[in-house]
Amino acid sequence: MTPEPDGFDAPALSHTRAFLAAGRGQDGDAAGTANDSAVSGLRPYLLTSGRAEPVDQSLEIESQVLTTDLGATAYGRLSFEYREIVRLCEDTVSVAEVAAKLGLHIGVARVLVADLAALGYLVVQRPTFPVNQDLNLIERVIRGLEAIH
Amino acid sequence: MDLKPSTEPSRRTRRPPVPVKIVIAGGFGVGKTTAVSAISEIPPLSTEAAITTVAARVDATGEVPAKMTTTVALDFGCITIDEALKLYLFGTPGQDRFGFMWHDLSQGALGALVIVDARRINDCYPAVDYFEKVRLPFVVAVNMFHGELRHELAELRWALAIDAGIPLVTFDARSKLSVRDALLAVLRHTRSRIEGA
Repeated sequence: MTPEPDGFDAPALSHTRAFLAAGRGQDGDAAGTANDSAVSGLRPYLLTSGRAEPVDQSLEIESQVLTTDLGATAYGRLSFEYREIVRLCEDTVSVAEVAAKLGLHIGVARVLVADLAALGYLVVQRPTFPVNQDLNLIERVIRGLEAIH
Repeated sequence: MDLKPSTEPSRRTRRPPVPVKIVIAGGFGVGKTTAVSAISEIPPLSTEAAITTVAARVDATGEVPAKMTTTVALDFGCITIDEALKLYLFGTPGQDRFGFMWHDLSQGALGALVIVDARRINDCYPAVDYFEKVRLPFVVAVNMFHGELRHELAELRWALAIDAGIPLVTFDARSKLSVRDALLAVLRHTRSRIEGA
């Protein structure tokens, strides 16, 4: 094999392809701890095992998320991103707040929250549907806003 | 380390509040973030959301239009209605190409507030078109940021080509109470739509 005539060198492989790096960790939550400090520079979907869709694709971004006792107990065994979410959700926050406060893309936050919920580490309160047909609920919101001064 | 399991109240008895949302739409720079800031109990947060667009060019294979993912900022705030109910306000740019994100935001929303700058009313057309199409109740609110209205509301309504049944209000996006009243207009409109159905 001859070298490239123009002296082209293949660039060093600077990051791992998402699908290769990711597969581990789905069947054991201890995976990823060795990589904790390396996470921040990676492309967002590397954090989600290459998946761009949450386990539950319909998880609304206003859904409320709260860490369970199980999640708090598992904290030390979780990889960095999961751990940050479990910590943040000690107090109830929305999926949108998880994204904003942890600097995650909203789609990534959705996937990670859905993963943790599937493991029982988070409890998720989704909106009730069809919310926009529920007169009592709308009356409650109206009264709540009227109380603002 | 483990997070200390909190003692009181026990997580088992805590339930997160039910979330509801109102979409705040309109063109760039029209006062969406200002309005959210004025009334949100937390400083407005911003996150990035992906939107998928079909690129005008053809990709390298020469056959299929390339699907591109663009990132757009999503600003939001919230208001605690009562201990079991929390209202979220999502501000979204009102351009045609952000339609994909509107679907997510509109799904299950109580209604929408479309903010208009009277000097650039065209900017709100995509939002008005979209909410009409998905039948999400909405109110058009003219931001009186600049103090005076150059047109009568009736002229604006004509220019916007909105149905007589759609409330058109003026408000000041910097004022908490004014934003509150605009949101109340949305909710009352939603209520009347349900009652009239």
